[in-house]
Amino acid sequence: MQQINLLLTSLPDGILLGFVYGLAAMGLTLIWGVMNVINLSHGPIIALGMFGTFFIFIRMGINPYIGLLFIAILGLIMGVFIYFVAVHRVINAPHLSSLLATFSVNMIIIGLGTAALTTSPYNVDFNVGSFRLGSTTILGTRLVAAVIAILFTGGLYIFLYRTRPGKFIRAVTNNRAAAELMGIPSTRILALSFGLGTMLAAVSGALIATFFPFNILSGGGYELKSFVIGVLGGLGNPIGALVGGLILGVLEGIIPAFMETSWVPVIEFGLFVVILLVRPQGIFGAKK
Amino acid sequence: MAILEVRDVTSGYGEVQILWGASLSLEEGKLTSLVGTNGAGKTTLLRTIMGLNKPWSGSIWFEGKDISQLPPYAKAEMGLVLVPEGRQLFTDMTVAENLEMGATPKRAIPNYKGNLERVYELLPRLKERREQKAGTLSGGEQQMLAVARGIMAEPKALLIDELSLGLAPVLVLGLFETLNQLKELGITLLLVEQNVQMALAVSDFGYVLSQGRMELEGSSRELAKNEHVRSAYLGL
Repeated sequence: MQQINLLLTSLPDGILLGFVYGLAAMGLTLIWGVMNVINLSHGPIIALGMFGTFFIFIRMGINPYIGLLFIAILGLIMGVFIYFVAVHRVINAPHLSSLLATFSVNMIIIGLGTAALTTSPYNVDFNVGSFRLGSTTILGTRLVAAVIAILFTGGLYIFLYRTRPGKFIRAVTNNRAAAELMGIPSTRILALSFGLGTMLAAVSGALIATFFPFNILSGGGYELKSFVIGVLGGLGNPIGALVGGLILGVLEGIIPAFMETSWVPVIEFGLFVVILLVRPQGIFGAKK
Repeated sequence: MAILEVRDVTSGYGEVQILWGASLSLEEGKLTSLVGTNGAGKTTLLRTIMGLNKPWSGSIWFEGKDISQLPPYAKAEMGLVLVPEGRQLFTDMTVAENLEMGATPKRAIPNYKGNLERVYELLPRLKERREQKAGTLSGGEQQMLAVARGIMAEPKALLIDELSLGLAPVLVLGLFETLNQLKELGITLLLVEQNVQMALAVSDFGYVLSQGRMELEGSSRELAKNEHVRSAYLGL
């Protein structure tokens, strides 16, 4: 009985968190899907999104949800910049080159971040109230974060399926040479995709900062979760990423009811390995 | 007047040289064919014209401008469009989306609706299947879509690589009929074919590529009568 109560308390939290995990994973998975690059700077960018919320809210006093717009735009610009500086020249090279290139970006951001912001925890004291659902209390910030994550997912879908640049991204994903032959400037489209992936990572970080403490290293854990989610949902599949995020969120909601919280990563990454062994294209099947 | 001129181009892949000085010129409004055996360098020549491969030496001119170093998308933007070998469709996108992607060049956007109607009129099967994913079409339908996507770009010159490959003869006849209609619309065409007989039958002018060099050129009627062509390519 006590376990069921605990489950009822932690499950809704896990589900809401799952949407935000899904959003972060979508950034990773979009970049992989379009250009077959594993973005190892994903984690620090999530952390930069967290600090974005901190500076906008604590230093400038602007509502974090309005601040999201700035963080999204800055994330997009930063992604395009990273693409041209670090990724473009190794885009056709073997995977190891792009892994190393994005890993260098990862180290640069962490190095500069540690020097400027230290590694002591930051906290954004932001509250939009809470409400009771049965015997559980749900924090407003988590609910709003989940809703915003869903809105961004929907926005990404409308962008990819209804707008011209979005369709260009899908065309380049599908067949880069053919897209180029049709008059689509594929380099610009790749840069845009990298920008969007970075934007999604930064926004998810900005949302997480409204309810968890963080430092410049905090992105690492979410980056790892994004890998698990990407493998669950199939790399290169945005809806799969959202569903994968939910699965992870639900697991994080269920596991603490039955065992120590410290078992959560063990089970998550155990699952990761099992899926890689049994169904490497992901539960929902990947792009190819 | 020549709309496209290839002057003494050499090219290849890595260390392997495929083209050893190929020249070609497309007369505006005419249907030219480029024939040759498998491995003669036909596809490499098209890839080099489009910029998917860089020319090692020589130059490529389109409407009097040197386009040798331009990327493929800039060439499509100018009206030089390739229907690539193996169709290269956007298989995860619908037929209608493939056609929309074909209409990427700025010059094709204002006439998008008109071109779409024209394409659906020319190839009504595509209209029936417009909401279907391109990857689910039959081979013949995919080839139709590849050509249709090229037309949507509103090309001045359309280069078509292996139109007939792997298709039933009836379908090939139908597609060649479509080519004649395109020619009547004023589009300059280059047809690259292994099916020498068919290609020479529909084209005005022909080139024979052999081992990376132009072996013969002339009006298609003369080429079809040429002793060497008859014995080496037509098996007569």
